[in-house]
Amino acid sequence: MKQVTERMAGAAWRRLVPVMAIAMSALVTLPTMAQVPGRFYWKTLDGGNAVPLIVNSISGNTNPFDPAHVVVPGASFDATVALTGYAHTFSVFDRSAMAAILLPMGRVSGDVTVAGRTFNQSADGFGDPMLEFDINILGPKAQKNLADVLRYEPGFSVDLLADLALPIGEYHNDQPLNLGQNRWYGRVGMPVVWQLGSWVPGQRTTLELLPAVWLFGNNTDYLGQTLKTDPMFQLDAHLTRDFTDRFWGAIDASWYSGGQASINGVAGEKLNNLGVGLTLGYQINDSLNLTFGYKSTVNDNAPGDLRMNGFMLSLVYGWHPLIEGSRRLKSE
Amino acid sequence: MQEYRMELAMDHVPQYPLLGKLMKPGTLKPLLMALGVAGVVASIGTPSIAAAADAPRRPNIVVILGDDLGFADMGAFGSEIKTPNLDSLAQEGVRFANFYTHASCSPTRSIFLTGVDTHLNGLGNMDEWTAPNQWGVDGYEGYLNNRVATLPQLLKGAGYHTYMVGKWHLGKAPAQIPAARGFERDFSLLDGASSYWDAMNFTAASPRSVFTEDGRYLTKLPDNYYATKTYTDKLIDFIDANRGDGKPFFAYVAHQAPHDPFHLPKEWRSRHVGEYDKGWDAVREARLKRQIELGIMPAGTQLAERMWFIPDPIVLAPAPRALLGKKMELYAGMVENLDFHVGRLIDHLKAIGEYENTIFVVFGDNGAEGTDLFKMIAGTPGTRDYLFAAINWSQTHPNAWGDPGSYVGYGPMWAQVSMTPFSQYKGWLAEGGIRNALIVSGPAVKRPKGSINQGVMHVADLMPTLLEIAGASYPAAINGQPVPALMGKSWGKVLAGQAESPRTETDYIGWEIFGNRAVRQGDWKLRWEYKPLGKGDWELFNLAADPAERKDLAAERPDKLKDLIALWGAYVRTNRVVLPSRSPYEALDDQLPKRVPVEAGFPPLIYKRQFVPPADLLTDPAP
Repeated sequence: MKQVTERMAGAAWRRLVPVMAIAMSALVTLPTMAQVPGRFYWKTLDGGNAVPLIVNSISGNTNPFDPAHVVVPGASFDATVALTGYAHTFSVFDRSAMAAILLPMGRVSGDVTVAGRTFNQSADGFGDPMLEFDINILGPKAQKNLADVLRYEPGFSVDLLADLALPIGEYHNDQPLNLGQNRWYGRVGMPVVWQLGSWVPGQRTTLELLPAVWLFGNNTDYLGQTLKTDPMFQLDAHLTRDFTDRFWGAIDASWYSGGQASINGVAGEKLNNLGVGLTLGYQINDSLNLTFGYKSTVNDNAPGDLRMNGFMLSLVYGWHPLIEGSRRLKSE
Repeated sequence: MQEYRMELAMDHVPQYPLLGKLMKPGTLKPLLMALGVAGVVASIGTPSIAAAADAPRRPNIVVILGDDLGFADMGAFGSEIKTPNLDSLAQEGVRFANFYTHASCSPTRSIFLTGVDTHLNGLGNMDEWTAPNQWGVDGYEGYLNNRVATLPQLLKGAGYHTYMVGKWHLGKAPAQIPAARGFERDFSLLDGASSYWDAMNFTAASPRSVFTEDGRYLTKLPDNYYATKTYTDKLIDFIDANRGDGKPFFAYVAHQAPHDPFHLPKEWRSRHVGEYDKGWDAVREARLKRQIELGIMPAGTQLAERMWFIPDPIVLAPAPRALLGKKMELYAGMVENLDFHVGRLIDHLKAIGEYENTIFVVFGDNGAEGTDLFKMIAGTPGTRDYLFAAINWSQTHPNAWGDPGSYVGYGPMWAQVSMTPFSQYKGWLAEGGIRNALIVSGPAVKRPKGSINQGVMHVADLMPTLLEIAGASYPAAINGQPVPALMGKSWGKVLAGQAESPRTETDYIGWEIFGNRAVRQGDWKLRWEYKPLGKGDWELFNLAADPAERKDLAAERPDKLKDLIALWGAYVRTNRVVLPSRSPYEALDDQLPKRVPVEAGFPPLIYKRQFVPPADLLTDPAP
């Protein structure tokens, strides 16, 4: 009997643990560049935990710490940004949910133009922590045990997503370039995961969409002035495909529209930008997932166009008490 | 291809001496129409079934074989699996609850097609397991030898069209394939199993399954091939191609399904999601309850004890329950898909007006499969077959189950469910290995529709029964050599409602395969099996009182034991049985956990729940 049950259990873990690790990569958001990699909103077992470490190297004409992407024509920013945090999965009325807190940090430097004068500036420290809550509203029910994980296929899943940034990041009111934004801001969105074909490792293909609206409070102390930003619409799209059981890739695109900023009533340009990118993902082991990506705006030739490009490396460690305990027993 | 020279006891069609001469392609129908022969020949001098058929012409015969289909897998035999088309045949015909096959596939098929014991027809052992001391011995060729006549040969000679689709497993050489053994049209898998989606087989040494169509070896499979569907399509084509000539047909529909690997289209995989998470014990209990309600099993029937190495499902966590349950979900889908395609055939026969004049015979070829074939073939890292499997059969994710490249079987726990209420499964000679569900319907059946019969029947009976229905006879010799005597008994009187069993109390049936052996006479059964499923010694059971073979009566009834051992000796002598010097089960006693009794409720430990004290006695610790 022991042989049989061990064989059963072994089969279960072998199949399910990778699912955990992959899905844990979906537990973090990335305010930088306001885009998250594909497969972020795949669902996993209730009670799972994840700690991400995401490192970005970004260049462009906007402060990557500012999700409103205020364009500074002719400017050039370089930033090295890291993001870490903690995410936890649970269920609400049988629906999968996830709550996370994320903390950006890093350094940014670049040319800043204020009152017609351009000068070089830099900032470093912590950015605004962000709280994220995501709940599935259409698609498979919450995965409350490994049997549910076993049967999980996203089909056509739709979530409700809410992000809220806390204005406690590093901010100096005497300089235009900051890591903290000194205002409340956040996002509501509806992540969509659309399964195309079989849900078998090595064969999975998804089309993922994230329509969202960013809403911004006012920064009433922006160099002594008031910075207002209109709502900004964002649409991210990812076509993801497994290459092997553990190796996958994605073609990414994102479109921003709106987000017109004004300082003391003087309005800037509305955004209307398209970015494209590529992502490669690899599951290193049952707990550790690696992605590498590159993104760049494409319609960015005019001086007022948003121009950003960057590399991103992410490492996400996921765990679950059930799986950790099983691992301990297995190594006993 | 070898041509057989038949020397029938009379003519090809003894009752109609002219008919055989008239049965040349294209000549029969106009002659029959002109002379009004059809009605005449059906009623003159025919045996009881043919006379009872009272049909305008001889009936078509469709034999549907489910590969590894279990005794309890059809709705009409107590299953929760939905088989409306097979059940409809049961409702219009008769079910037999004491029908025996052999314990594995090719031996059963060889008996069905020849009416002769395996040790005489060439399948004294499966080709894959012929023991060294059987090599070169007559009766152990591993294919149907040339000393036996086959049912299709005889029916063809009697004026029937003979069609076969599906699994053959009785030889691959040109002289051994269906076309050489009497089938006029065929689309056949010659191997014992295969992918359902393509010609991928399981071993590095024999990586490609071999198919024939009308006696030619196929270089590729048809477009959009899926075994169960394609076999049905082909058979319908065969029937339609010759429908105009008015000859009856014999169709041997030897489906692969539901033999593992459980390959099936996606839309058939999700019809029972979560239904089997409750575990095998609960499903077995539910099936037995329905079997008793239906009258398949007598009231008071007990379930065979769960195999001792299978856990009580109560101890399983949700994921293993779901994983193991999903295997049974797929199996149920296999059976339902099989039923669907049987339904297509039935519908087609109705559409062309042949259904009412068709006798259907439905059964499984042996007990359900409880052995992990894939592990047996490819389970050892470092072997060539393991490497082959890694490349070709490694779609092991549950969501890939059913796809090409996946290999799913359902294990001994579900095999026992398929064989409810019996003990053991395929390969073994407990009732779970050899007793199977049988449905017979059509014009030969005069018993009340939907009735259930408990007569002791055997697959060997089909040869004399179907010859009788077709108005044909068994030959005295072929190729100048006398053919072995038929071992079966015609069901003519049973189907006509004139007898409850084709057997008397002194008739007996014998089995031997892989060194396991058994004899049944009346209610008594003698059994010898390798340890640990058997005792490595003779066991004795009274099947009327104990169909699940729970109580060995060998010590209590030495007289009966002695009688049956004597019958076993007679069986060995009559059929020239050579017990194998090697067996797939010879080391099983060292591979399985030590056998212990399985008793309901033991150990109580696993059924204990959290103790909840009375609320009024709860308190916090004293400070």
